[in-house]
Amino acid sequence: MNLRRMENTPKLTFHLAGLPITFDVTVMIGTTVTCVAVFLIAWLATRRRALVPSGIQNVVEMLVEFTRGLVRSNLDAKTSEKFYSFAFTLFFYLLIANQLGLMFNIVTESDHVSAAWWKSPTADINGPLAMAFVITIVAHFLGIRKSPKKYGAHYFQPFWWMFPLHLIDEIAKPLTHGMRLWANIFAGEVLVFVLLKAAWVGIPLNVIWIGYSVFVGIIQAYVFTILAMVYMSQKLSTDH
Amino acid sequence: MHYESGIHIEIGTILFQLAAFIILMLLVGRFALRPMLQTMKQRQDHIEGQIKSAEESRKEAEKLLEEQKAELSRTRQEAKEIIERAKAQSEREAEEIIKGAHERAERMIQEATAEIKREKEKALASLREEVGTLSIQLASKLLEKELDKKGQAKLVATYLEEVGRLQ
Repeated sequence: MNLRRMENTPKLTFHLAGLPITFDVTVMIGTTVTCVAVFLIAWLATRRRALVPSGIQNVVEMLVEFTRGLVRSNLDAKTSEKFYSFAFTLFFYLLIANQLGLMFNIVTESDHVSAAWWKSPTADINGPLAMAFVITIVAHFLGIRKSPKKYGAHYFQPFWWMFPLHLIDEIAKPLTHGMRLWANIFAGEVLVFVLLKAAWVGIPLNVIWIGYSVFVGIIQAYVFTILAMVYMSQKLSTDH
Repeated sequence: MHYESGIHIEIGTILFQLAAFIILMLLVGRFALRPMLQTMKQRQDHIEGQIKSAEESRKEAEKLLEEQKAELSRTRQEAKEIIERAKAQSEREAEEIIKGAHERAERMIQEATAEIKREKEKALASLREEVGTLSIQLASKLLEKELDKKGQAKLVATYLEEVGRLQ
């Protein structure tokens, strides 16, 4: 089936103490390309800084202002400074990663096995889910470091028997956080591929769908970043 | 290398993505975001400074304007005073001149009148003398012609009488 072929990706597996460690080559390519693009754009924009900004500096400054606003709306002024580079890098990374798979596709065929070598790193579940869980773990860690008593008490509020609900909530948060991003981007790429197979009928539909997917990619980058900040602030806020 | 499709949780992919993101975050923070935030802070400071200095110069300008206005009104007041003083002085002077002229004219008239009077008296006196002399001459001429002792006496008497009356 075509869809299976499109999904087929090259993998590298190593065994460490009997444990299989698998690397997805396509995702690694996508991640590397995104990282290089993000760093180059941010770095080039910072090369010739002027008090009166122009061109690329304007764009990156807008991103900085925007992500700084996201952080500031969730955290107090002093703590928010520590999260500027995290929020900026996360938003910028997702902004580019989400669009990567929409540009083109590279499919090779050898020994009757076809493989896709190009897709959004966020269209693979591992990246988004790992990021979401790391964000949650960091949030919990910061919460415990700030006030272990408050952190513990929070699980039994407003009633002690709500403890299981809190546990479910804490696990559901990163799960939905990661899967929301992955599912949106993955679905976008799958439908692009399906429409490509639909001959000439699919062309106008594909144009519309790719345009919509670009929009979805931007929205999901924003949603993922702001949720990350919200989860951090829930654990860091004093009134919780 | 092998090929696979479907959704799998892969430790390797996860580690790679996380490591790549953390490295990217450190690099972007160090080489892009920090200088960018510095520049933005600089700009903000610059703009704030400009606004502050603009406010200051506006205040100064207002103060200067106020001063100039006060100065101008004071000068105007002074000019008015000077003009008024000059006007008053000129009026006074004109009055004095006219008064002086009147006085002089009066004096001249008086002098002229006195002169006329004096001249008249002088003329009268000289006329009287002349008439006396003339009448004596006339009388002597007449007397030379027809004078007798009787007539002469009578004549002398009348003359004496007349002279007495005249004086």
